[in-house]
Formats: sequence, C-alpha cells, structure tokens
Amino acid sequence: MSAPPPPRPEIVIDGFPRRRPRWLELATSADHKDLGRILVGGALGFLFVALVELLLMRLQLAIPENTFLSPVTFNRMLSLYGATAVFLFAIPLALGLFYYAAPLQIGARGTALPRLGQIGVGLWVAGATVLYAGFLFTPSEGGINPLAPLTEVAFLANNGVDAWAAATGLCTLGFVFLAIDLLTTLRNLRAPGMAWRRVPVFSWAAAVSSWLLLAIGPVLLAALTMLMIDRNFDGVFFADGSGGAPLLWQHLSWIFFSGAYMLILIFALAAIAEIVAALSGRPLPGRNVVMGSLVAIAVLGTLAWLQNMLTAPIATGWMYFGMLMSLALIVPFGLVFFSLIETMVGGALRMRAPLLWAVGALSAISIGLAAELSHSMVAAAWQLKNTTDATAATHFALVGGGVFGGFAALHYWFPKMTGRTMGETLARLSFWTTALGLFLAFVPLFFAGGLEGQVIDAYKFYGDDGVDAYNLIASIGSFVLAIGIVMTLVNAIQSRTNGAEAGHDPWRGESLEWLALSPPDPHNFDVLPDVRSAHPMRDIRAAIANRTRSGKAPARERQPVA
Amino acid sequence: MTPHSPGTDQIDTLVWIGFLAAAIIVVAINFALLYAVRRYRAGRGSEPRPAQGGRRSQSRVAGALTAFAAVIFVLSVVFTEKAKETPASGSAGLAAAEGEPLTIRATGQQWLWRYDYPNDAFSYYKLVVPVDTAVELELLSTDVVHTWNVPELSGKRDAVPGKTHRVVFRADEEGTYEGSSASLSGQAYGSMRTAVEVVSPERYETFVKQQKADIEAAQDRVVELIEAEAVP
Repeated sequence: MSAPPPPRPEIVIDGFPRRRPRWLELATSADHKDLGRILVGGALGFLFVALVELLLMRLQLAIPENTFLSPVTFNRMLSLYGATAVFLFAIPLALGLFYYAAPLQIGARGTALPRLGQIGVGLWVAGATVLYAGFLFTPSEGGINPLAPLTEVAFLANNGVDAWAAATGLCTLGFVFLAIDLLTTLRNLRAPGMAWRRVPVFSWAAAVSSWLLLAIGPVLLAALTMLMIDRNFDGVFFADGSGGAPLLWQHLSWIFFSGAYMLILIFALAAIAEIVAALSGRPLPGRNVVMGSLVAIAVLGTLAWLQNMLTAPIATGWMYFGMLMSLALIVPFGLVFFSLIETMVGGALRMRAPLLWAVGALSAISIGLAAELSHSMVAAAWQLKNTTDATAATHFALVGGGVFGGFAALHYWFPKMTGRTMGETLARLSFWTTALGLFLAFVPLFFAGGLEGQVIDAYKFYGDDGVDAYNLIASIGSFVLAIGIVMTLVNAIQSRTNGAEAGHDPWRGESLEWLALSPPDPHNFDVLPDVRSAHPMRDIRAAIANRTRSGKAPARERQPVA
Repeated sequence: MTPHSPGTDQIDTLVWIGFLAAAIIVVAINFALLYAVRRYRAGRGSEPRPAQGGRRSQSRVAGALTAFAAVIFVLSVVFTEKAKETPASGSAGLAAAEGEPLTIRATGQQWLWRYDYPNDAFSYYKLVVPVDTAVELELLSTDVVHTWNVPELSGKRDAVPGKTHRVVFRADEEGTYEGSSASLSGQAYGSMRTAVEVVSPERYETFVKQQKADIEAAQDRVVELIEAEAVP
C-alpha cells in the first residue's frame, strides 16, 4: 500500500491586525487589489471630470456663434478632455480592472513585481497631478492629439504644452510599468495546470494589452521626449526646416493613439466575454478564436495608424496600407462579435446589470466601428475625416468600450472588490439614461459631419451652416448622457457600504477569482485547485454536485481542490 | 452637399458605399443581439444548451468577413484612383496652356488662406476660379498644419509646413462654395474659413487683371508715402 502523496505546502495567513489608518494603508500598499482599486476609483473620478469638460464644450456649441467660452478656453477644455478621457479614465480603468482581476483569475497570490506596479500607479497619480496643476495656470491649447508644429514654442509659447507632455508622459510610463508587472505575473504565477490555453479570456486580454502597451508606450514616450527637447532645448525634431519633420509627430502619436483605441476595445470585449459566459450559463464556444482575434486586433489595429493620416501629404500607397490594416480588422472584430452572440443564443440569459451593460456595449461598439469603416476607405475619408462624423464614430466605439464595457466590468467585479452588489434598480435606470444620452449626443453629429461637413474641434459654427438643430440636440443629449453616467458613479459610491451582501460567487462565474473570498484576503487564496480546463469553477461546482449525489468522496487525485 | 467636381462625384459614391456597408453591419449585429436577448432569457426552468464546437461555422464566418473586407478594399481603391485623377478642362472653360491645369498656390497661415494666381496677383480668403476648368492648388503652409476643405469641390488635403500637397478639381457650375479649415490650428481656428467663387473664364481674366492692377497701385501708393515721409 503506497503512502498518499504529501499535500502541497500551503501558507495560510489569517490576516494581520491593521496598525495604521486605512487611507495610509491603501496609499502605501503594493497589493494588486489595493492598486487596482486606486486605479479604478481614480479613473471613475476622472470620468466625472471629463464629463464636466465635455458639457462645457457642448454648452458652447449649443447655439451658433456662441460666446459662452472664449476660443482659448474652448481649446483648453478640448485638450484637457482628451488627455483626461484617454490617460486618466479609459486606459487606467482597463488597467485597474486587469490588475485587480487577472492575478485572481490565474490563481496568483499577488503580482510578481509588486513594487513596480506600485511605482506605476504612483507615476499615474503624478501625471494626473501635473495635468491638473497645469490647469491652475495654463492648460495646453493643442487639442486632443496636438499636431506638430502647433506645439512648438513659436505657436504656443506658454507652458501648457509642456504640462500636457509631462502629464501624458508620466501616465504612459506608469502604464508601461504596470504592463511589465502584469506580464511577469501572467507568465510566471499561473495556478498549477493553467496552461496558456486555459487562461481566462480577460487575463489573456490583460497579457495582450500589456504587450501592446510595451510596444506603443515607448513610441509615445519617445515622441514626447522629442517634443520636450524641441520646446525647451532648441530642438528641431518637429519644426519645419533644419531637418525637422512635422509629420513625424503624426506617425508616432497615431501609433500610440491607435493602439490605445484598440486596448480599450480589447479590454471591453474580453470583459464582455467573461460576463456573457457567466450570465448565459455557457462557456464561450470559440474560446481559441476569441483569444486569437484579440491578438489580431492589437497587431492590426496598431498597424492601421496611417488610417488617421489619409489627408496628409503621404504617398497613396501608404494610404492603401493603412486602409488594408483597418479593413482587415473586420475579420477579428467580426469573429469576436460572432462568438459572443453565439454564446448567448442557446444560453439561459440572466439579464442582470453586468449583462445589460455588456449588451449595450456590444451595440454601441458595433455602431462606432461600422461608422469608422468609411474613415478608412481612402477617398471617403477625404470627405469624412475631421468632421463631427469622426467625433461621433470614435465616441460610439470608445464610450461603448470605456463607459458601457467599463461599467459592465465594474458591475461584474464590484461584488468581488467590495463584497457587495451594486443596486440593480439604479443600474437599470442609469443604463437606459446613458444609452439614450449616447444616441442623442452623438447620432446628430453623424448627420452634422456626414451630410453638412461640420468640422471637428472648432469652438463655434455659423448659423448658415445648417447644423443648428443637430448641435442643439447633441448638447441636450450630452447632458442626458452625463446624468446617466453620474447615476452609476453614485450607485458605486453608495453600494460600497450599503449594497446587498454578495457572497463569493454571485454570478456563478467560470474563473478562479470566484473561489476567493469577497473581498479577497490580502494573500488571495488559502487553497488552490489543480486547473484541468478553461473553466475551473465550473469543474469545481460539477465535482461538488457529483460528490453530493454519489454520497462518497472521489479519489483524492480526482478532487479539484487539494 | 452636392458634388460639383468629377473627383467629389467619386468620393460621394464611395461615402454612400461605406454607409451601406456600415448599415449592414449595424443591422446584422444589433438584430442578432436583440434576438438573443429576447429569445434566450432565463426563467421557466430554462437550461442553457450545451456548447457545440462550432469550428466549421467559425471558419465560414471568417471567410464571409474576409470576402466582405476584400470587396470594400477593392471598391475603395477603384474609387480613390478615380477621385485623385486630374480632370481635363471642358470646352466652356479657360483655354489653359496645352491642357495643363490652371495652377494656383494656396498658402495656409494662421488663420487665413492666401491664393497666388499665375500672374502674381493674390487674394486672401476668397479664391476665384473659372468654371469648367481643371484647377490645381499647390498647398503650402507657413506655420502649422491646416486642412484645405471645400467639400463640394474636393476632398480634404493637409497643408503641412515644408511639404507641398495638391488639390485638383473642375467646378461644373458657377457659384460660391464655402468651406472651413479642418485641423485645429490655434485660437481662431473656428473662424478660419475660405470661399471658392466659380465664375466664367472672362470674368476670371478680368478679376486677376484687376486684382493685379489694384495691388500694384496700392504698392505704388505705399512707396510714394514712404518717399514723401508721410508714414512713420
């Protein structure tokens, strides 16, 4: 008779008593859950700030030739809005949720390089501080992607552009650090048995996004460094003459912004994949296809940067290259949408808040991406580029991904993060208000830009442009959108302390984060199962059901939890 | 916007093709979502069907999507090639030298467009061109990136400092066509407009001659004042 195999050594900590105030504990923590919560909480706060800036601009554009904001103030709001929405809301929300959930999903007890992650979050906080410290004196007037040579000292002499470059640079460096930590964790700390093919889709997306950030982050950092040298040390990287090339900035910055656009969609689609699988009670049928498609989206989407430069003086051949990469994206995006819908068809859908937001996100993203199609068809882009049609398409895709997809993920992992569920009634009310607001705010801009050619980023329009009604409806709609979003922010704040107790596995999820307590202990797991499939929680539930039914325990090596 | 040049005709058609493709995608996805959500709601003891390995359906979908993308790519290339061709001047147009287009230099500067005509006359804000004549604008910028944008006559083109870009069109009807610059270029960007006045060849000739005479007269007057020490 052979002796049973020795049990795997497990370190069990029952929690240390707290010795310092909670905020200090949070601010100095290197735990991925604390850092993730800082990122998510901060991102949601900056979503509110971005909304305020959007509303100020929409007030200015409510009626023709309005004088509510001066041209300079409008450009400052535009620059702040862009930097806030991208660097302080969308990317950190995605990274925060990746950073919180991915280590739990792969059964890790922490991240591999916690201090690096801590520095990453610190750099992001520093970037946000610089951006809004700049707000106190002179914010940038350069726009969402400030095109060189407008950013040269000769044209914008005050230090707004410097503050913008420093802020976005610090944030990007922080994101790169977080990406390194995430990748190292995902490569090294997966639970026993969790091969890459068994990694949950959301964790896979965290790896893809991290690789993407490692590719595009340094590109933007290089461009920002050149900009800083131009502005402060008489450089000529982007200045015309003396060998400078204004177009170089466009290439480098669009590589980053195209990649970031894809990152937000990859995050949203992967979160939606988890939610759809859990709440329709069926695993994704085409898991490998979805995972491969996310990689394709990251690669092709970044290579499609030239899609943003179709009116620039570049050879038509390059334009066709940009178009080819953009149109190739139809295949992976289409396959992901197909797999998600295929999962729902034949499932038993529990239309709780996460799934509601997820379906809304899919709908909004589909409209945004379909509208982007014309912006990559070269000659069509010559007409549509830099019109409000582009504003509308981008906002449908990125509000669909960042806000709807982000909120779906927030409602889904909120019980894990806080132990409480977000209020369902308010969630529904918020969803329908936000959806109505999105359509009211941006569908009119499709018409204003597509039919009347209203140009982007302008602080005013004229009465005889024929776009009065469109802009008025869009302005009203943006207020509805803001009310809807604020409802969810209020819901999140209230539910943190007053929500219904959620339990550890409220959605009957598929991956290991639902094995941990809600909220998880600092060390995440007391015990870990041997992972034998892509959905270990489903296996564990089946084993428990089996054991209860048969009345006798299965052999030791067949038990999922050691 | 009604197209008023051969190039914008092609652009307009391609925009509608893009719209149609987008409409197909939006309708297909959203109806599928709506169907899934309405039909497969949990309740009444419904159990999820076991997942089938849909490898075959996936490769079919991938094939269909690839074909869809390829068709759009080919159509886009065809229409783009046609749209960027330099049109030939018509019979009602200005008889330009050896069928070459009438070349005018357009310079973007914060926050006005300047147009230099072949006879050294120039004008700000308003460009005057003869009807039914192939016109080529040489786009330049003296400061930041500006986008020349008169949608009825041509697609957008960026004027980037240090680079030359080209706009070609042939206006088919007399009239005034307006446009706004389309790249954020600083504070007065929102009011950086331009207008193209399309007139008969005779009126164009008179305009450039008169403009040149006016400019020379004005310059002479300035020289006179300087010599008389009437200006500080």
